[in-house]
Amino acid sequence: MSIKYKILKAIDVAGLNFLRPVILLCYGEEPEEQIRKIGLFIAVPIMAFCLFLYLWGLFAPMHKTKSGEVPTPSVVWDSAKGVWAFHVREKNKANAYNLEGDSRDKLLEQAQTRLSELEPMVARVNEQLAEADGAMQSSLASKIEPIKAELDSSKNAMREAQKARQADLQARAKAIAADDTAAKEKLLEDYRAHLAQIETERESLRSYEEQIDEIHNADFPQRAEAIRAQSAIAEERQYLVKLIDTLENNRQQKLSDIETRLEGFESSYYEASGADLLKHAKSITRTESLMVNAADSEYAKPMTLPDQVLRSVACVFAGFLVASLIAIPVGIVCGLSPIMMSALTPFIALFKPVSPIVWLPIFFIIVGGFIPDPDKHWLIAGLAELPLIGWMKINPAFIASALTVAMCSLWPTLVNTALGVASIDKDHINVARVLRLGFWSRLIKIVIPSSLPLTFAGLRISLGVGWMVLIAAELLSSSEGLGKFVWDMFNNGSSQTFAQMFVVVFVVGIIGLLLDRIMIVFQRLVSFDESPTSI
Amino acid sequence: MEKPIIQLENVSVGFGPESDRTEVLTDVNLRVMENEFVSIIGFSGSGKSTLIGLLSGLVKPDTGAVFCKGREATEPGPDRGVMFQNYSLLPWLTVYGNIELASKQVFPNLSKAELKEHVEHYIEMVNLTPAIEKKPHELSGGMRQRVSLARTLSIKPDIMLLDEPLSALDALTRANLQDEIIRIWEEDKKTVILITNDVDEAVLMADRIIPLSPGPNATLTESYNVGLDRPRDRTTLNHNPEFIELRNAITQSLMAMNAEAKKLRSNTELVMPDIRPLDLSAA
Ligand SMILES: Nc1ncnc2c1ncn2[C@@H]1O[C@H](COP(=O)(O)OP(=O)(O)OP(=O)(O)O)[C@@H](O)[C@H]1O
Ligand SMILES: [Mg+2]
Repeated sequence: MSIKYKILKAIDVAGLNFLRPVILLCYGEEPEEQIRKIGLFIAVPIMAFCLFLYLWGLFAPMHKTKSGEVPTPSVVWDSAKGVWAFHVREKNKANAYNLEGDSRDKLLEQAQTRLSELEPMVARVNEQLAEADGAMQSSLASKIEPIKAELDSSKNAMREAQKARQADLQARAKAIAADDTAAKEKLLEDYRAHLAQIETERESLRSYEEQIDEIHNADFPQRAEAIRAQSAIAEERQYLVKLIDTLENNRQQKLSDIETRLEGFESSYYEASGADLLKHAKSITRTESLMVNAADSEYAKPMTLPDQVLRSVACVFAGFLVASLIAIPVGIVCGLSPIMMSALTPFIALFKPVSPIVWLPIFFIIVGGFIPDPDKHWLIAGLAELPLIGWMKINPAFIASALTVAMCSLWPTLVNTALGVASIDKDHINVARVLRLGFWSRLIKIVIPSSLPLTFAGLRISLGVGWMVLIAAELLSSSEGLGKFVWDMFNNGSSQTFAQMFVVVFVVGIIGLLLDRIMIVFQRLVSFDESPTSI
Repeated sequence: MEKPIIQLENVSVGFGPESDRTEVLTDVNLRVMENEFVSIIGFSGSGKSTLIGLLSGLVKPDTGAVFCKGREATEPGPDRGVMFQNYSLLPWLTVYGNIELASKQVFPNLSKAELKEHVEHYIEMVNLTPAIEKKPHELSGGMRQRVSLARTLSIKPDIMLLDEPLSALDALTRANLQDEIIRIWEEDKKTVILITNDVDEAVLMADRIIPLSPGPNATLTESYNVGLDRPRDRTTLNHNPEFIELRNAITQSLMAMNAEAKKLRSNTELVMPDIRPLDLSAA
């Protein structure tokens, strides 16, 4: 088997068939055909995506919201980088809390050097910002000045005119005799005209003001750039200060502080006598318990988006696992026994369409019933001790979300498995009958393998459904994860968090895509007839 | 009299609901003795595979009974090894896996190494060692047929029910496997019922040839005993007058049956008007 064949087989199994023409081109096979295919399967999608980004960048700023403009691709990209930087920094801080000895000193030194490097930069960006401010002010002034002058002059002119008309009306009013109805009517009419005139004059003044407002509100790129630079540096500076603070007060430091204190207390205890002894003993025991606390202490690291992503993925897999453990056996039983199938059909039909939004609160309450006091429950405590997932702090909200995922995603697997088992080829059953396979051998060697492709097709759909359901479930249950991230960002309501919601769109999409790819690979591995899987 | 190892007694079978029933086999009687090699020959669609189904126990007779080794047989079992016409290989298993599944079930006491040797022996017999790790969908039709044959042979059934086992093979492979089947039959004292539509093959291999009349309502007709000495040599057989005579006789009888069946059909279809031409000469 040649390497080429192996590569082609691998990308086929991985569902990456769009790479096929590239490989073939590398081997110089029908170059024209391959280039055509590359154009079709690689260039066209890329171009379409670029077009999408362009249109997005074009239209997004046109819509203004409470949280600022709809973010453009570049804003979203910057925001993604910000999310990542935040994650890295939090991780460093958490790490710094655990460092001891040399490595701690080294990091401390690094941080201090960087901080001292930053100081002049802070000054520079502040200067730049001031400069930009100045430039903006003067540019504004130069634009606004003439308009303002015009505004003032026309305001004055109008005021004069108004006064004159008012005086004229006043004079006429005085001159009108008590019985001169015609003159009175005329006066009333003129007064009305006067008021209307005032209104139109105001209107024209307002248009000047609007012009001025517009100039004020217009983007000033130089200043925006300066603000961005300043806030980036300010953030880094704040981070370094925090990092240094953490390093200086990390666990090891705290412990050695407490130790010296303890030593002091101990020596004074042994020197003292009489009534003081108990007082000193109290100090010692209190310090000892402080020491235990310090030894157990951890840096209070907030959940960052990557952590939440991992937790979401863990949650969807937990739910998916539960769903599979229920759906596959039940599906097999349904496929084998028409009676079971008939008995379960109403349940499937009834529960399948129920929305996750309904299941979640139900599961939340049910799980809460089992785990009334999460902090003291053995399950929660046990899960927190586990090596890989302990940090996720699995709580009832997590469990309820996972169960919601399970409840909503088990149907495709169940139905497909039942179908796969029920539609087994009669010839295969005949083979089993001739060989006199027992029930279990028949199940394991004939029925299950022949239904696996359909089961896996169902599992793939289930995982996709589960992932969609999960985000909603987390949002509702406030289980730390992508859903909660979106909800927090929504409640925050700033333009920066608005952009981060767009980041989540891509994160969710990419992870969903990867999950689907993984399932495709499994599906390909169990399929025996080389039938192509749909994309 | 010697007892038959497998026997059909007045067996009839049909498919379909009462309202739209096709009677495939009617009143079939068959007695096959131990260590006999019987070949059944018939037209396509006449019911040969159905007959194999009856013999194996996979198809239940509507009337009559199937006896195997003196007892009524109602369930299939590995003592009557069937080679299915459509091969019925398990598509998720490799060539090796397919044969291993059958062998392991029938010979549960074999050690791992023995089992491997056993399976490989039969794969080698049908010349498929190079394709041992391939799945059925990666094989040609003829290769699949050979896997199916190897699977049936590997469970060493007392009675081998072979449904057109060599139909998809080239002449050379076919001759080889014919020899192989005859060798196994002779050495291990098996009973073979071979379905074929090739008269030469039937005459070459069988002790007895039974033509199946064309369906519907097919039934086994008078059998022909093949008295040719064994081993039969394919190269000289073509000039053997006894062989030629037998072959012609069987072919003729099949043709006659076919023609009769056709006539019967056309008779039932065309109702002749009850009129005669006027005899003008009498006037
Ligand atoms: N399961 C079934 N349901 C309905 N009719 C069937 C079924 N199996 C076979 N038949 C009918 O029985 C008749 C005989 O079929 P069978 O497969 O035994 O023919 P055959 O002699 O083996 O033909 P061939 O030489 O083409 O294999 C056919 O007319 C077929 O339509
Ligand atoms: Mg047939």
